[in-house]
Amino acid sequence: MKFTDKLIDAVDKKLERFDPLWQAEHGVGGQRSRYYDKTGVAKWREWRGVRDTFYDYSAWLKNLAAMAGMVASAPLPILKGFWEYRWMGSYLGTFMFIDRLFEGYRGTELRIAHMNMYGIVQNLTKKIAFILANDKRLGGGPDSDKCIPFDETIPPLFLKGFKGLTPVPMQTLPEFIICDIDQHIEPYYIDVAESFGLAADVCSRCAAEAGVALDDAFPILGKVMLSTNMPCNASEATSMFQRRRIGLPDFPVTMAMQHAEKEAIPYSRQELLNAIAFVEEHYGVKYDWDTFYKYAEIMNEQNAIELEKWEIFKTPYSALSGIAETLYKLYEWQSANGADPYFNKIDRKVIEIMRQAYEEKYQPFGGKTRHRAFLWGPSAVYYTDFPTWTQNCWGITIVLNMDSTMGYNQIDTSDREKALDDLTALEQRATMRHHAVGGWDNVNAVWDWAKKFNCDMVLMNDNIACKGMLGVHAMMEEQARDLGFHFIFIEHDLEDSRTVSRQDMRNCVNNYMSVVLNEKPLDPTIVEFDDSQAY
Amino acid sequence: MKDLKHLIYFENLLQDAQNELVTKAIEDGKLALGYNCYYIPETLLNLPGCFSSRLRAPRCTSTDVAGYYMTNRTCPYARSILERAIEGGYNYLNALFGAESCATMERMEEHFELLHPVKNERFFSTIMDPPMKGDKNNLEYYKVQLRKNILLPLQEHYGVDISDEAIRKAIDDHNAVSAIIEAIGDHRRADNPNITGYEFHVIQLVSQVCPHELILPYLRETLWELEKREPEPKFPFRARVALVGSEVDDPEFTKLIESCGAMVVADRYCFGSFPSREQITVRDGETAFDAVCRHYLHWNQCARFMDGMKIDQRHHEVERLVKEFKADGVIYENMKFCEFWSYEKVLANHIFTNELHIPCCTIEKEYALGAVGQLRTRFQAFIESLEIKQIHGGK
Amino acid sequence: MKNVLAFLLKLLGKIALVALILFAATFALYITNGENKLIYYVIRPFLNKHYDAQVRDKRIV
Repeated sequence: MKFTDKLIDAVDKKLERFDPLWQAEHGVGGQRSRYYDKTGVAKWREWRGVRDTFYDYSAWLKNLAAMAGMVASAPLPILKGFWEYRWMGSYLGTFMFIDRLFEGYRGTELRIAHMNMYGIVQNLTKKIAFILANDKRLGGGPDSDKCIPFDETIPPLFLKGFKGLTPVPMQTLPEFIICDIDQHIEPYYIDVAESFGLAADVCSRCAAEAGVALDDAFPILGKVMLSTNMPCNASEATSMFQRRRIGLPDFPVTMAMQHAEKEAIPYSRQELLNAIAFVEEHYGVKYDWDTFYKYAEIMNEQNAIELEKWEIFKTPYSALSGIAETLYKLYEWQSANGADPYFNKIDRKVIEIMRQAYEEKYQPFGGKTRHRAFLWGPSAVYYTDFPTWTQNCWGITIVLNMDSTMGYNQIDTSDREKALDDLTALEQRATMRHHAVGGWDNVNAVWDWAKKFNCDMVLMNDNIACKGMLGVHAMMEEQARDLGFHFIFIEHDLEDSRTVSRQDMRNCVNNYMSVVLNEKPLDPTIVEFDDSQAY
Repeated sequence: MKDLKHLIYFENLLQDAQNELVTKAIEDGKLALGYNCYYIPETLLNLPGCFSSRLRAPRCTSTDVAGYYMTNRTCPYARSILERAIEGGYNYLNALFGAESCATMERMEEHFELLHPVKNERFFSTIMDPPMKGDKNNLEYYKVQLRKNILLPLQEHYGVDISDEAIRKAIDDHNAVSAIIEAIGDHRRADNPNITGYEFHVIQLVSQVCPHELILPYLRETLWELEKREPEPKFPFRARVALVGSEVDDPEFTKLIESCGAMVVADRYCFGSFPSREQITVRDGETAFDAVCRHYLHWNQCARFMDGMKIDQRHHEVERLVKEFKADGVIYENMKFCEFWSYEKVLANHIFTNELHIPCCTIEKEYALGAVGQLRTRFQAFIESLEIKQIHGGK
Repeated sequence: MKNVLAFLLKLLGKIALVALILFAATFALYITNGENKLIYYVIRPFLNKHYDAQVRDKRIV
């Protein structure tokens, strides 16, 4: 053992009483002990031992630098953005968000988590700077008319064939990402929508989108917009308001709902081609297949690595799980979708680390995993840092999220016809959609996935306004019983934490774990606590 | 006005999904084919040897069992249909043709496969993927879906003739019923109509839930009767309204509005005659099947359509009805928990009120009419505002 | 030569000192969760006040 290692171990021993994991284990505190009540504000950051604390510190510095870079690249538009858009203010909660997500993370899992998170931060900061610098509402920029605003649930890979044009996901900044960072931001927009008479029982995500449109809070870019029927009913309906308020010519990319049927591909494929023709017509540009192939290759590599990750997920030796997996995958697949090769760099590094950890039979989270759960969950997972909490509180490792099983097929880049079919198959399996629409079999597939990944538990986020999933409530319960899975419905109202609070959500798990399974929490300080005023 | 001869008979036919005419048709060896949504062309379910039966759940007061399966936070129409199915109310069906037109409808129809509530050994069901735009690609997809989910299964399961000739015959049947309903409905255009909205609602409903062949003589006779029927000496209502929105299959709802003082002169809702009773024309060089698909895609007014052309069409269609039927305003309703119509209602209210300057009252309703006090108050207030507007010369 | 070496050492020393100060400052900020406290208790309340005072063009077009 080297001297430095000895020294570090000695310091770790000396300071271990500050480590919340140690505190919880010894009954003298835990994760929640270092918080001011109700808020998400910690009195001090988590002490994880010398090595991990310094790794976390360096990751924090790196993220800070990315954000400083963002401001430096477009200082005036960023400032104007903060002044103009309520949702911009919420991005200041990013550091608190990251801290929450990786509470209790140590060693390899912490390193992978930060690598993945940095991928998101570097991409998102660039995106914010670019959008605000070209937002016509803030004065516009050189690329204002070279953007293609599209509904964020359209996987933008196919738009990368337009050389010189930048696809811009419309809802990502004001709604999709920010609702994860700040639980208090979307209720404002939901209230705006409801003040116009929108029923309170519709999906809150879509109500929030409608609210952003009615509040005139979408950045204005581009010459046309692409809306979509993905993922579901309310999302289709909300696009009517965005179409009118934004006022750009609109092409709805309506992908087949029953995407697993063979008839779906020709139809959806033609939709993509029609969308391409629509953009060509309005921007006076020609689609370039070679450019598309270049990005398809990037996507192919990401998907190939993903499948290798899945093999490791099936074992107890996966250093990537929970929020670090699901949030990263969601962003990498849906938002970047082949457009940013930096994600490939991360993927290559992460898979290397995962292989090594697997070789060494490394058990993450100190080997405290009691249950392996397959998750069926959207946003409420992120703003509540739910997978992190299930891990820290009850030892439930979220192995994989159903949302992470989006299009994982390879795209043949040698033949245009095959490429189109492959692209269509990939695009049809989009976020919140492929497993939620198109019939019972797509929902019911969750059990096969859970079995394949050696899970004994399925956690199902039960959006109280999601009509599609409410419609299978009892069938899911009955399937769980018949197939022998521990199954917990976690009630939530997606982006409206006023209806179902974070604690109400946690109680769904608490009740099952304590009453049904009669288990004791790993960290009693986080079983019941008030974080209603946290971001 | 003198009572319509068959009105009580029609009302009785609406008391059960399997009414006496349905039973008679089944005894005659006809196949009973159920459907819920306009996306399923009624015409294709009236091929030779078959008859269409649009599913309602009359007198449904509780959805406890369906609520267990689908929770109580889903569309009460869908829940009521499932409840009725579990109760055994649709055992007469030979098939159910569903559409993933909305999530709840699709889930409800799925339960027909998962729970096997229809105790009929030969029963089967399909669920199609309906188009969301009115363009060529979506029309082609509609054709693929209808062939796959209606025509081919009917041929395969029951040997139904799905030839062009058979479909032409079904179109003739559709046009015959539609011509009569349209003619009856046209009586509502008069300044002092000799038919009430309630009566028309009942007549339109029986045309959708009874075998056409068996209901046609009664409808024909009712039309003749109306040709001679004297209206009230003076228009007995205080205002005229178009009822617009999602699913309404309970004539009591129309009666409620009329009891508040406004005659329902136009019915643009699911189960209404706009759309459903337009004539289908087969163009030169077009197959009968293609004509049916084109017709239903064109006339479909569902709020799930996303393209600008279809969105505008559904607002202009209401504007047309308001003008042609001389309505003073629009009552815009949506079924509780309906995502599409909740959004559409907000937009339509804005368009009617601010752009088309048509007074509009929006309400949300349950499937089974229970406590109607709140609705009554809303309707009365709206009608009063229409009257005040009339007094001020339409301003 | 000696002078150059002395200068380099001095420079290195200065760089090390600046780095140390920077490290101490950023690490102190990090471990005390300083930036989040500032954001939560000062910046966001100020911004929220501004957002609440905004007159937004709320309408269906």
